[in-house]
Amino acid sequence: MAMKRRTTILVVLGLAAAFLVALWKPTVLIYGVQQAGLYAAIAIPMGLVLGIVHIVNLAHGEFMMVAAYATYFACRATGLDPLLAVLPSAAVTALLGWVVYKLTIRRALKAPELNQLILTFGIGILLSQGVNLLFTSQTRKISLEYVSASMTIGELSFGVWPFVFVIVATAMAVGLKLFLTRTTTGKAALAVGQNPRGAAIVGIDVDRTYGLVFALAMALVGGMGALFLTRSAIFPGVGGPFTMKSFCLVAMAGIGNIPGILGASLLLGLSESFLRAFRELRGWADIIFFVLIIVVILGRSLKGRKS
Amino acid sequence: MNRNLLRLAAALAGAAAVALPAFAGAYPLQVARNVIMYMALAITWDMLLRSGQISFGIAGLFGIGAYAAVLGVLRAGMSPWLSIAFAAAFAGAASFLIGFLILRLRTMYFSIVTLALAEIFRIVIHNLPEFTGGPEGVVLEGVIMKGSASGLYWLTLGGLAVALAASWGFEKSRMHFALTAIRNNETSAKSSGIDIFRWLLVAFVVTSSIQGLLGGIYVQSYGFATPDSVFDANFTLLPLAMALLGGIHSTIGPVLGAILLGLAAEWLKLRIPYGHLVVYGIIIIVVILFMPKGLYGLARKVSGAADRRRA
Amino acid sequence: MKRTFAILVIAMLATGAFAQTGDTIKIGGIWTLADITGKQGSMAAQQAIEEINKAGGVLGRKLELIVVDDEGKADKGAAAVEKLMTVDNVELLMGGMASGVELGKIPTFKKYGKVVVSTGAASYKVEEALGADSSWYFHLHPWDYNQGASYVEGWDAIQKQYPKIKIKKIFLAYEEGAFGKSSWDATKTLFGTGGRYVVDGASFKSAALGGGDYASVLEAAKSFKPDLFLWAGYDADALPMLEQAKAMKFSPSIYLGAPPGWPIGFGTSKLSEKVMLYGMWAPTMNDTNAASKAFYKGFVAKYKEEPATYFAPLSYSAVYIIADAIKLAGTTETAALIKALEATKYASPLGETISFSKSNIIAHQGIRRQKILQWQSGRQEVIWPFEAKTATPVYPFPAWK
Repeated sequence: MAMKRRTTILVVLGLAAAFLVALWKPTVLIYGVQQAGLYAAIAIPMGLVLGIVHIVNLAHGEFMMVAAYATYFACRATGLDPLLAVLPSAAVTALLGWVVYKLTIRRALKAPELNQLILTFGIGILLSQGVNLLFTSQTRKISLEYVSASMTIGELSFGVWPFVFVIVATAMAVGLKLFLTRTTTGKAALAVGQNPRGAAIVGIDVDRTYGLVFALAMALVGGMGALFLTRSAIFPGVGGPFTMKSFCLVAMAGIGNIPGILGASLLLGLSESFLRAFRELRGWADIIFFVLIIVVILGRSLKGRKS
Repeated sequence: MNRNLLRLAAALAGAAAVALPAFAGAYPLQVARNVIMYMALAITWDMLLRSGQISFGIAGLFGIGAYAAVLGVLRAGMSPWLSIAFAAAFAGAASFLIGFLILRLRTMYFSIVTLALAEIFRIVIHNLPEFTGGPEGVVLEGVIMKGSASGLYWLTLGGLAVALAASWGFEKSRMHFALTAIRNNETSAKSSGIDIFRWLLVAFVVTSSIQGLLGGIYVQSYGFATPDSVFDANFTLLPLAMALLGGIHSTIGPVLGAILLGLAAEWLKLRIPYGHLVVYGIIIIVVILFMPKGLYGLARKVSGAADRRRA
Repeated sequence: MKRTFAILVIAMLATGAFAQTGDTIKIGGIWTLADITGKQGSMAAQQAIEEINKAGGVLGRKLELIVVDDEGKADKGAAAVEKLMTVDNVELLMGGMASGVELGKIPTFKKYGKVVVSTGAASYKVEEALGADSSWYFHLHPWDYNQGASYVEGWDAIQKQYPKIKIKKIFLAYEEGAFGKSSWDATKTLFGTGGRYVVDGASFKSAALGGGDYASVLEAAKSFKPDLFLWAGYDADALPMLEQAKAMKFSPSIYLGAPPGWPIGFGTSKLSEKVMLYGMWAPTMNDTNAASKAFYKGFVAKYKEEPATYFAPLSYSAVYIIADAIKLAGTTETAALIKALEATKYASPLGETISFSKSNIIAHQGIRRQKILQWQSGRQEVIWPFEAKTATPVYPFPAWK
């Protein structure tokens, strides 16, 4: 209940801000929404892992980076478009995620949560430094015509390709919602997330569910890796910053609240874009993210104490 | 018996640490300085962790301490020594104010907010170029004590001594009881009359001041500060990893962890110039999987088993 | 699993360990090895060492390069200097890239006062930290203000040579870190004074540091309608920014990038055509410069990869400059070596003869000029300085079709 209200508040806030901004400077809205889509699409898989397996995966961005590299080399070798690689990349990353889960994370689940944090931190170093060793720190990008697809309204020309992230993020949120509430596996996963011991008592294989959910999240990250390659250049450290952003967005939305991540991302994307519209303030655009997180978390804790 | 032996070992290790410049060359001294710096940070992080609060803001407090010291010298004409004290005071004062806001938060939410605050400090420093030097940073006229290798080593060791003293102080006083009670069960701690907020605030301010102090020592030993160098995320992540690998909720754990990781990193780098960080990642993974309670936990288990066998 | 790992470690040890020979002249090299600039810089330096040794060494002795990683951190950089100075007892030092790391090494440099031939560190803060009495410091890479001044010189000369190129308004998009900020400071003051140019600029967060959204900065640039648009960022920004510029239908007459290196295969992208760049070296210079050709061939033959940035030929040059100076001095003793380095006249693969002279603060500044180049048919062609020219500029930048 509280979660639903939180989501509603975030969505209403986001929409109100969007409307005001659109009246004043439409580009702020366009770029803000596009950026929000990217943030959300990367954060949602982390929200899934955090909500059900209850681990903060500090190698989250690194998994995406590895997927993007795999896509890059596959596309280079075959000449195929990265878009065609979304599904294969998802499958490969899911497998990688499942193996990593079985070999490492599973063994650390019973340890204090901090151990999992450092474990995934170590995995992150291994992945990014391994890629660095094999392929150097030089950046790579596949040059694509359609990412410069443009739309002109009056004086205003802007790119439309990044909207694909908005679509993907929304699809992820809706798809996961359906999966978790309509399918048997999904329902079981949700039960495990809420109460692993209780779920085990009613006969759900908790370990298998954790592995499955982790692999599913990694599949989404892997698909995103292929998609990410269309927009951005890749290098070993490209994923790292997204880990922190995703983590913050998930916390802002509240753990287990996947649609809330959409709202949080929208709020963030728009505010950043808004600040960047002012020349003197653009250096401060980064701060908005962290201020928002603190305000939302503090506000929630205050409200929590009152009720 | 056992305890006295431990005390003796600690005293010997301390004496050896103080006397190190007499028999070690400049290079081992410099490596020791780096290790000691992270060791002290790891101890302070662990001190707050004993209450169950996981801070991700070490780099933030280290960084504002560093900038307080540099700007104290450049903008307020402080002497280098005074500026180091000022760094501690400034970080302490800042954490006192912040503490009121955030110490009611728990678990991941506390962690995220400390992380966010660290980033906010960095961005503020970054965006006030006239006062702070901006992204390019500021350069001091020289290094404290004219850059004497032993002097800088002892200075850093002094920072560690402060952290150790505070940590032992925590362990031996009511603080220990209070923090452990809060960590284990906050509700029952409260009902047994512990003023949770007050104890947390004290722990937060003490650890933050020491982190600020270390930041001050750091910049005075290198003679410059840039946002990228003093707010480096490694100042948060490495102490955390060191404390966990050594064993948390103790003083000795972070010490062991810092020695392990610090020396391993330096050794690997010389052996494997290209790719040593890969091995570093593997070490972290292996240690955490096979020694979930860290080195100290393992040592306790082994010595416990030996005791049982003897009995 | 265990065995593969062991083999991997041994293989890395084998490639990493440099042969220890008796009576060699030891040179210490410090770079950030996880970065392509430092990795290839150290490789190119090793290549030069081997070439010199094959030709008989120096003063009848062989040169030996001992490389230590600074991991891009100030404290590790200081430790690297201590190690090379006291454990390996090197005669002199070389290397360096990021200014923030160099600043951490300077107190230790000062303590020993041995010769340092620096291949990086462009920030004027580094010069400030060195101070005027650092006669042992030989700075090969141009300072940020040297670079800015050379661009003014370059564009003045280009406009004179090719009258149809006319520049009045300049817009700089700069990444918000130290690199971009110092580019902005230099551009603002050097192009802004005198009233010949109108300068504007805005910052962006580089993709290399977790950013990568250029919409707002391009929008600001577009509304300024610059004749010359330039961006100071990293290689990760190159293609995405172009793609976004195209999507926004922003096509200035000159579109110029100034990253330290370019992404792999940038030249194969259609968008790269006619993009200009600032740099110090390009493989096209092999056609006009014998030293460049020798360096390039040697590097590719030895390592089976291309030198990706100018830091490779720069480090290569540094080794030759050092070797020549030791030969001239007849000793590795510091005072004599400084004297000999002051007499340096080295025809480098970078297309210019390097010698040292005073800059704003320090006494020994090497290269001052950067080059202005242009991507033409997938190759970086030098268009200025004219003495190193490999092609004439194509102007204007093609408007988006």
